[in-house]
Amino acid sequence: MNSSGTKFALGVYTSLFLVFLYAPMVVLGILSFQTGPEGGPQFPIIEWSTYWYQHLFGFTPPSRIAPLPINEALFRSLVLSVMTMIVSTVLGVSSAQAFRRKFRGSGVAFYLIVLGMMVPGVLVGLGMALVANVLGIDRHWWGTAFVLHVVYTYPFAFLVMLAILNRFDPSVEEAAWSLGVSPIRTFRKITFPLIFPGVLSAMLFAFTLSYDEFSRTLFASGRDLTLPLAIYGTFSVEVHPNVFAFGVLTTIFSFALLGVYAALMTLSIRRAKRIAIQEEA
Amino acid sequence: MSAVLDLSNVRKTYGALNALDGLDLTLPDNAYVALLGPSGSGKTTLLRVIAGFETPDAGSLTFKGNRIEGVAPHRRDIGFVFQNFALFPHLSVAKNIAFGLEHRDIDPVTDPKILHTRVKDMVALVGLDGLEERAVTQISGGQRQRVALARTLITEPSLVLLDEPLGALDANLRGRMRLELRAIRERCGVTFLHVTGSESEALAMGDLVLVLDQGKIAQAADADTVYNQPKSPAVARFLNCYNLFDGTLSGNGFVNPLATFPLGGAIPRQSGQPGYAIRYDRIAVRPLDEAVANDEVRLEATFVADEYSGAAINSFFALDDGRVFEVESHLSQTVPAALQPQSRYALVWKRDDALVYA
Repeated sequence: MNSSGTKFALGVYTSLFLVFLYAPMVVLGILSFQTGPEGGPQFPIIEWSTYWYQHLFGFTPPSRIAPLPINEALFRSLVLSVMTMIVSTVLGVSSAQAFRRKFRGSGVAFYLIVLGMMVPGVLVGLGMALVANVLGIDRHWWGTAFVLHVVYTYPFAFLVMLAILNRFDPSVEEAAWSLGVSPIRTFRKITFPLIFPGVLSAMLFAFTLSYDEFSRTLFASGRDLTLPLAIYGTFSVEVHPNVFAFGVLTTIFSFALLGVYAALMTLSIRRAKRIAIQEEA
Repeated sequence: MSAVLDLSNVRKTYGALNALDGLDLTLPDNAYVALLGPSGSGKTTLLRVIAGFETPDAGSLTFKGNRIEGVAPHRRDIGFVFQNFALFPHLSVAKNIAFGLEHRDIDPVTDPKILHTRVKDMVALVGLDGLEERAVTQISGGQRQRVALARTLITEPSLVLLDEPLGALDANLRGRMRLELRAIRERCGVTFLHVTGSESEALAMGDLVLVLDQGKIAQAADADTVYNQPKSPAVARFLNCYNLFDGTLSGNGFVNPLATFPLGGAIPRQSGQPGYAIRYDRIAVRPLDEAVANDEVRLEATFVADEYSGAAINSFFALDDGRVFEVESHLSQTVPAALQPQSRYALVWKRDDALVYA
């Protein structure tokens, strides 16, 4: 096979891959602009409108379709994700820092940490529910489910930080020590600013994984639902395009998060460049 | 001169490797000390042990009269200049230099005015004026070297360790920085321990030259003594200006597989390892049929190639056992006859010019 043929075939393959990857999102986006309240989640689009977006925020006249029961669920999910993000990132950074030196049992500890992201979520969720029952602990999204979210996202934060610290030049820290600066202050003033892009990545991982976590939360969260559970709950009755409208808004929110992440990432590079430009001007 | 640092019987092993093998060392106060060692001789390990980044397995370190084996690096008052400079990439030149003074545990300088003055003085001392606000990624290699040095010197350590500080610079800059480093050290009045794998750098820079071989100090002397009277064949080899022969002493000759070299009047030096060394520039190249004087040694070899370096020509000969033998002819003294490649010549030197080890 000649190389241009291979190129073409790979191109087609990649395009198909991208289409399959993003088609559901595009369909979801299109259907969210279906007219309401009589229009359903199917083609063709009867008439383009933003009815379901208005419906979401309660701006439409009352109809037989109830508003999505997600206000409190959204709040819970956001709080839970932020809590998980903070705890998992702190744990991930500190344990990855510990793993820079070999210590006794480091191999075992590594696998124990990583296990959290490998065990099937349903099993862990069920297990947590049983343990909570046996011990007489009430299940809450901020309690049992929170613990499971941390167990699940901590390995991701840990692995990200491990990779970052692997490329970190320890002589910079040694240089700081030899200047009389204590290891703790060195970490704050030198190590942390240098690994900060990695910390941001770990935070992003922990947040997004926790935000749409389903299987673990299903069993462990008790009676107050998180956002993914609440949305799933609405499917069991009848699906209306308001769910799609909500999906589009969530996606936009995610992109906004990514945008903040990218902005923070490039900030340090920019700053270095700006200093240089000022100097030359 | 009093001693600032004293190491006694220091050992450090990595698995089966003896990086430091019972090393003894004394560094004088207010001096430029050059430590010469080939790669793998343990020189970086030695510096890291002195700085406190590595713990020795045995032995004692005495710094300014106090034992420091158990003292953490940031409490040792010993500066370290890294080969790769290890500057703080997220800080400007001025912030890099101020860092130690501002954040150190003992006696930090928090008054921004004093800090600014101190940084300004140090910037002037190392010649970085006008670059204070640059990012350290935006300056040249030589400038980075100065930042690394300034950052260390501003904390006024009693001893500064420099790990191949000129290794990352190009040849031109290296020559200039040699003079600068010596001048800066004299102005500060502290001891520099400069580790290098380059014999010319060690000889040019050290008031005292230490030669490290297999985890021990093989010789500690001034540059002239080290160069002209290396203490052992190993030291002679590191100097890169001696042809060396293995063999044994027998009667009035040094026996090696190629020939027996008659000895002069000098008493062989005791070094534990027999050897015979003749300096590159003490050898004459003659046609095979030319006569040999009574006080001379003669060895035949095949001429291979030569290398012109302006002031001198280095000629390379193949000995009968295949080893390379080097002759350096200074053009200001003699203009050597053109040599024919693959032809045999007699290499002649005076018996008393050779160094003989027993």
